Amino acid sequence: MPALDMLLAGLARERSTGALRVGRSGTIFLDAGRVAYMECADTPGAEDVLAASGRVSEQTLGAARREGAGSRLVEEGALTRGELQHCVLGAVLDAAFFLLQVTGSRPKFRPGERHWLGGQWFFEVEAIVRECARRAAQLTAIWPSAELDTAPVSPVRRLPGHRVVLSDLQWEILIHADREATPLELARRLGRPGYSTLLAVRRLAAAGLLHRPAATALPLRGGRRDREPRPPHDPDAPALPLGPAVNGDPTDLNLLIRLKKALEELS
Amino acid sequence: MLGLDDCLAEVMAIPGALDAMVVDHASGMAVAATGGDVDVDAARSAAAISETLRVTMDGLAQSAPGGTVRVDDMLVTTDKGHHLLRPLETPFESPLVIYVRLDRDRANLALARFRLQAISRQLTM
Repeated sequence: MPALDMLLAGLARERSTGALRVGRSGTIFLDAGRVAYMECADTPGAEDVLAASGRVSEQTLGAARREGAGSRLVEEGALTRGELQHCVLGAVLDAAFFLLQVTGSRPKFRPGERHWLGGQWFFEVEAIVRECARRAAQLTAIWPSAELDTAPVSPVRRLPGHRVVLSDLQWEILIHADREATPLELARRLGRPGYSTLLAVRRLAAAGLLHRPAATALPLRGGRRDREPRPPHDPDAPALPLGPAVNGDPTDLNLLIRLKKALEELS
Repeated sequence: MLGLDDCLAEVMAIPGALDAMVVDHASGMAVAATGGDVDVDAARSAAAISETLRVTMDGLAQSAPGGTVRVDDMLVTTDKGHHLLRPLETPFESPLVIYVRLDRDRANLALARFRLQAISRQLTM
């Protein structure tokens, strides 16, 4: 079975229009070979974000959906065109980040199908794939381990220092973390995009503010754990010895003895 | 009322504007950039701009009374020009950032800040 991005690239080449359903994980809507909309079961869609923003009432949303025209929201004065574009753009890329990683489902393409919020912003398939790769690399650069992406968020009880700077999203994550919800569950609860939540969680991890999941107790191959980089304030980081580095190498001792002797002879 | 695509043209109409970009702050993604399509270079500078703003906010939060900070705009002058960043509050999670680089000799900073403020008011409500 070809990977989802290969399949998409093929549909883009044929300039297809329609919906590509990826099992229960989500749907990708194409318009003449460009992505017009994308939804993923794990991330809040543009509709959820609009509803959560409080700017658009359920009724207005419902009316626009029935009419099949997203532009109706702008005409009614609920949003500016830029805001609607930003909302759709954010939701599509957030969905793409998780949906394009889905494997094992057999995608089905239905020609001609459209989404009512499609057409606000068009994406080239190649640009989406590139952006998803950039986002994955950004996560790795912040904190190289993906183990916290799917584990319950569990903040440490005490700060590894005296003071900490948090972003607004990090604050929300910390006060909603019940040690059971995973980052994506928290994202849904907070009505925040999945990817931004992962970013915030990785930054919290890099600052030593989260417990490593118990899953680290799983058998680890060849001391992998020790090779993982850790910030110096991480409770699991190897403790640095106090004072100057001491070397147990006997040649060093011999050198010291010889030095001592030489000094004694001098005096 | 402006869309994300046509707001760049407005930004480039500011006297002395050299390049401009609209960045999604949370993800560090270039939404639109001058010079047509968002290419690899635009993607890299968008991520860097967004990181610059994030680090600046972190730094300012530690020196600000109360420890929280809200940035209206940020201006850095280098040998390559004035770099003006303006985060826009949006009703959705992540702020958008408008970035413009201005010619040091031709630009009028007060006017540029004023115009950027006016553009951001047309882009959001």
